[in-house]
Amino acid sequence: MKAETPKSTGSGFGEAIMVPVRLAMGLVDAPLRWVQRKFGLGGMAAFFLLPNMLIFGIFVLLPFFINFAYSMTGGTALFLDDRTFVGTDQYTRLFDCSNYLDPNSCTEDTFWTAVGNTAWFVVLQVTLMILFSLVTALILNRELTARSFWRAVFFFPVLLSPVVVGLIWKWILQRQGLLNFGLYGFGFQPYTWLNDRNWAFAATVGVSIWAHMGFYTLILLAGLQAIPKDLYEAAEMDGTRPARAFWRITLPLLMPNLLVVIVLVLIRAVQIFDEVYVLTGGGPGTSTLYLTQYIYETGFATQLRNPGLAAAASILMGGVLIVLTLIQLGLGRSSEKKGSRK
Amino acid sequence: MGHIKLTNVTKSFGAVDVLHDINLEIKDGEFVVFVGPSGCGKSTLLRTIAGLEKPTGGELAIDGKVVNTVPAADRGLAMVFQSYALYPHMSVRQNLAFGLENTRMPKDEIAARIAEAARMLEIEPYLDRRPGQLSGGQRQRVAIGRAIVRRPVAFLLDEPLSNLDAELRGSTRAELAALHARLSATMIYVTHDQVEAMTLADRIVVLRAGRIEQVGTPLELYNRPANRFVAGFIGSPHMNFLEGTVEAVPSQKAIATLAGGHRLELPIGADIETGSRITLGVRPQHIALGAGDNSIPAKVRLVEALGSETVLHADVAGQKVLVVAPGQYDLSPGADIDLSLSAAPIHLFNERGLRLERAV
Repeated sequence: MKAETPKSTGSGFGEAIMVPVRLAMGLVDAPLRWVQRKFGLGGMAAFFLLPNMLIFGIFVLLPFFINFAYSMTGGTALFLDDRTFVGTDQYTRLFDCSNYLDPNSCTEDTFWTAVGNTAWFVVLQVTLMILFSLVTALILNRELTARSFWRAVFFFPVLLSPVVVGLIWKWILQRQGLLNFGLYGFGFQPYTWLNDRNWAFAATVGVSIWAHMGFYTLILLAGLQAIPKDLYEAAEMDGTRPARAFWRITLPLLMPNLLVVIVLVLIRAVQIFDEVYVLTGGGPGTSTLYLTQYIYETGFATQLRNPGLAAAASILMGGVLIVLTLIQLGLGRSSEKKGSRK
Repeated sequence: MGHIKLTNVTKSFGAVDVLHDINLEIKDGEFVVFVGPSGCGKSTLLRTIAGLEKPTGGELAIDGKVVNTVPAADRGLAMVFQSYALYPHMSVRQNLAFGLENTRMPKDEIAARIAEAARMLEIEPYLDRRPGQLSGGQRQRVAIGRAIVRRPVAFLLDEPLSNLDAELRGSTRAELAALHARLSATMIYVTHDQVEAMTLADRIVVLRAGRIEQVGTPLELYNRPANRFVAGFIGSPHMNFLEGTVEAVPSQKAIATLAGGHRLELPIGADIETGSRITLGVRPQHIALGAGDNSIPAKVRLVEALGSETVLHADVAGQKVLVVAPGQYDLSPGADIDLSLSAAPIHLFNERGLRLERAV
C-alpha cells in the first residue's frame, strides 16, 4: 500500500500566530521545570490546582465559615470583633413557634412567612417551569419553519440580567404599564396588578419562568435530540400512538436530562431574589417576600439590622441547597452508570 | 400472503429525485435482496415500501391493495433496522411485547408469541435483560424477534448484519436463510454486500442512482449481467474490463483489437458494426495462465499467494487485470506471462455499457 505523506499542519497565517505562543511557552518553560524538579510530578498537579482552590477558599469556603460564626453572635454591630457570642440563640429564635403552620405564632414571624411563600413559590414555579420547558422543547424539536429563530427567541431572556428582567416586567405590569395601556385600548379598566397579593405572586412565578425557561428548554432539547430517530420509526411501524410513544419512549429516555433540570430548577427557585426584588420588592405586604430577600433585609436593609439572625437563616437555607445539590450529584452519577451500560 | 407490487414508483426529496420509475413485483414467500452502492436509493425504496416514506408518484400495492396512503402500521409489514432500534430502557421481553400491546392483544397471547419467538431465536435466557446488556449478535436476534412476533405479511430488513463482525455475520446469514425457509414469509433485504445478496436471495434487485439496473436470480446476474455496472458489481473480486475495437465481423463472430493491439476472436450473436468500440468482461476466476488460442500477453505487477489459490495483479497494455488461479505459482512482479481466455465466458458490452448477446 502506498504510504501517505503527512500534510503540512498549518498555513502561513497559522504559523505567524504560533510565534508569540511559542515565545510565551519558552518563557514559562524554565520556571515550570524548576517547580517540577522541586515538588515532583504529583506536586505539579497541586501547583496547577492552587489558583482555583485559593479563589474557592477565599470567596466560598471562608465566607461560609465566617457566616457560621456570625450566626453564633448577637447585636447590630457589623464587625465580628464587636459582636457578642450567643451560641445557638439565633437558631432557637428562628424555630421559636407554637404552631409552625401559623407564622403569626412564631417569634420571627417574617422568617416563617418567607419560608411559606418560598415553599409555595418553589412548588408552583418548579412544576410550571418543567411543564413549559418540556412542552417548548418538544415543539422546538419538531420540523418547524424558522426553527433556529424560535430557539433563539426562547433562549433570549436567559441572556438578560435578572435586574433587567425585573425592570422590563415592572414597566409592563405597573399601574401605568404596557399591559394596562393595552387593556385600556380594548376598553378595559386598568388594574394594579402588582398591588394585588395573588397577581403579584403569580407575576413573580411567571416572570421567573419567562427569564429562565430557555436554559432548561435547551437542556431538554439536547436530550430529545439524543434519542435516535429510528426508535420512533420502529414505534411507527408497530402502530404506536403519539401519546404512547411520548410516555413509553420519549419520557423514559429523557429522564436523565429531566432529573437534572428538576434539581437545577429547584435549587434556583429556593434562591429566588433579584428579579422579584426589583419587580415587587416583596410586596404587597409580605405576599412575595421570599427567603433570600428576608435574609438580605434582616442582615443589611432594616434599621434594626440583625446580621446574626440573617446568618442563621442563610445557614439553614444553605443546608437545604446542599441536600438538593447532593441529590443532583447522585442522580448525575446514576445516569452516568446507566449510560455506560448502554 | 405477502405479494408486493410497485408500479412506476418515484420518490423525491425536494429537488433531488431519489427513485425513478421503479417497477417491481415481489411474489409471496420470496426472498428479495436490494443491492447497490451507497446512495443508490435501496434504503429509500425499502422505507417507501414500509410506509416510513411516502412515494412521490406511482403505485404501491400489497396483496392487491394499493397502500400509498395507508399508514406504516396498517400495512402488515415488520421492519428490522440497521441499528436494531431496540428501546434501551425496556427489557428484551418488553421490547418484543411493545408492538403487540398497541393492538390490545390479550396478555397470554402476547406471552405465547414472545415465548415462541424466543425459542426460535434462542434468546430465552436474555428475556429479562436490557439491550445494553446484550452482545451485537444477541441484539440483532431481538430485533428480528420483534418483527417475528407481529407475524407480518412481509419482513423488511435494512442492512441487518452490517453492525456485526465478519464471523458473526457469516453465521447469522445462514440463520436468516434458515429462518426464511422456516417461516416461508416474504422478505425484502437491503445490503451493499454482494456476498449477502448472492447467498440469501431468491432474486436480486441491483439498483444504481435510483434506477433498477437488473432483476434476476443470483446466478442469472452472475452469468448474464445486463450491463457493465451489474457485471462489475456482482462477483468477487469484480470482473475485469478490457477496452477494444471491432475490426471485422465475420458470421457469428467479431474480431476485436484490444488497446495494446492484440487481436481476439469473439463469438457474438448481436448486430455489431465494424469500428465500434466494445468492452470485454472476464471474471478473474475464468482466466487461465499460459498461451492458447485466445491469449494475451501481460506483465505481473503483484502476486498474492493465498495457498489454495493465487491472485495475480497483471497489466495488459496499460489496463489492469486481476487473475484468480487455483494452486500455487512461482511468479514475481515484473515477469511476463500469457493469459488465456480460450475457456473463459467472455461478456461483451457496447459503448453504452449494455450487454451484447453471444452466439449460441
